[in-house]
Amino acid sequence: MATSAYWRTRLCRYRLIGNRCQSCDRVFFPPRFMCPYCNSTKLEECKLPDRGRLLEYTIVYSTPKGYEAMTPYVVGLVELENGVRVLAQITDVNLENIKEGMEVEACIRRIPEQLEEKIICYTYKFRPVIK
Amino acid sequence: MREVVIASIGYTRVSEHWEKSLKGLFMEASLKALENAGLNVKSLDGLYVANAFAGYLQRQTNLANIMAESLGFFDGFAISIDSGGASGGIAIHEAYNDVARGIRDIVLVCGVEKMSEASPQDVLLAQMSVGDQEHFRFSGITIHSLAALIYKTYMKRFNVKQEDIALMSVISHEHASTCSHAQFPFKVSLEAVMKAPIVSDPIRALEIPAPCDGAAAVIVCSHEKAKEIGLPHIKIAASRIARDSFNLNERSDLLAMEALVRASRLAYEDARIKPSDLSFVELYDDYTVMGVLALEKLGLCEPGEGVKLLKSGEVSLKGAMPVNTFGGLKARGAPVGAVGVYQAVEAYLQLVDSAGANQVKNARVGATYCGCCFNSIVVVNIFERCC
Ligand SMILES: [Zn+2]
Repeated sequence: MATSAYWRTRLCRYRLIGNRCQSCDRVFFPPRFMCPYCNSTKLEECKLPDRGRLLEYTIVYSTPKGYEAMTPYVVGLVELENGVRVLAQITDVNLENIKEGMEVEACIRRIPEQLEEKIICYTYKFRPVIK
Repeated sequence: MREVVIASIGYTRVSEHWEKSLKGLFMEASLKALENAGLNVKSLDGLYVANAFAGYLQRQTNLANIMAESLGFFDGFAISIDSGGASGGIAIHEAYNDVARGIRDIVLVCGVEKMSEASPQDVLLAQMSVGDQEHFRFSGITIHSLAALIYKTYMKRFNVKQEDIALMSVISHEHASTCSHAQFPFKVSLEAVMKAPIVSDPIRALEIPAPCDGAAAVIVCSHEKAKEIGLPHIKIAASRIARDSFNLNERSDLLAMEALVRASRLAYEDARIKPSDLSFVELYDDYTVMGVLALEKLGLCEPGEGVKLLKSGEVSLKGAMPVNTFGGLKARGAPVGAVGVYQAVEAYLQLVDSAGANQVKNARVGATYCGCCFNSIVVVNIFERCC
């Protein structure tokens, strides 16, 4: 990945920022250029809630290059408190303790991407909420 | 609108063709289709090349131009179609529209893919490259993991076991066992499928296609032209494309597959048929669960009854609704961008009674469906026996 390409997605990756259609109020993640429901291009940045629940998950064994050290890992579909859904890795959890419906929260974790400038890259993942 | 037909076919076996290049595969299938029809390349007035991964795996872009050059096709129209697994179906759709509207008379459509010389990890990355790279690259989300979320949702909603869904793979292999162009012309047992390694829980390695190479070509032309050529031909009765939200997190229901429902209903309407009129169906079973879901979305059974239809035996070659009559993606093989053209070739073989051991008795009309990224683009093509 080009460093600039990584930099452009920093708000999504670090802070779960999507956008909201100003005319119909729908929220998108990742952010869109245009609302596909009302075709408005008036969209504003919108911070998504950090918490949600795990709707469904899978344990991934066949993984791309760079992911060897973390394989197997979990990918899940998370529904955030405002109803917006996000696909992400689920982290900081033992495979035997994971279950659908569990409460999760966003966190920032390193990803195995190599930029030319040797910057360490991060993205959002979700982890169980510790009560 | 003019009546449009497929008047000739050519194809390679789906396999690991170590000795053949992307261009070599294209030439083999295309020249066969031309030779079968007794046509010279000069008689063509259009070429569509369907492919998914050449830009990624061979670093070869500009495909139609390169292939037209190889074919010595200098004075015509050549266009590449690049829409992942939907590419082959879209190429046929375009050729069909051109001929129906009288823009072109005789068009060669060739789908070609070469995946065997890339590492499995590069193939995985290529498969993921059809997704939105800006946000999903290096997220750890693999294409198999998305399919697994659909799979688990299906099992829970309809309260079915994995064995019931995995049966799709067993049936496809059974049909491929007598298919000479299949990548895996042998049977597998349900036990073997269930014991295969897990790629993304619960999906087993024997529930998905393997990387492969292959090319398939068809000559699409007007009915008059086909009569002039004097070869057996089949009618393209309908061709419809539909889209759905690309990102699974933006679909309110992972099992809705709205584009497949829409494209198939429009195609049935155009062809003036009901699902029950179909003599056979070729599915895009890139995962067993996608094949099962497709049975429902195509209207061949009620929602949640795909598994019941599989178990009924009606989807076998001798049943009332044969599916994947040459083995489908799993067993005939899935040269991704070429799949839609292989399906058209197979529909041709069925409808001119040349399917050999895989012949469906009294085949009158067949549907093929291919798609990209969990049916974010879907093409449904319907073919009919002609004359
Ligand atoms: Zn809107």
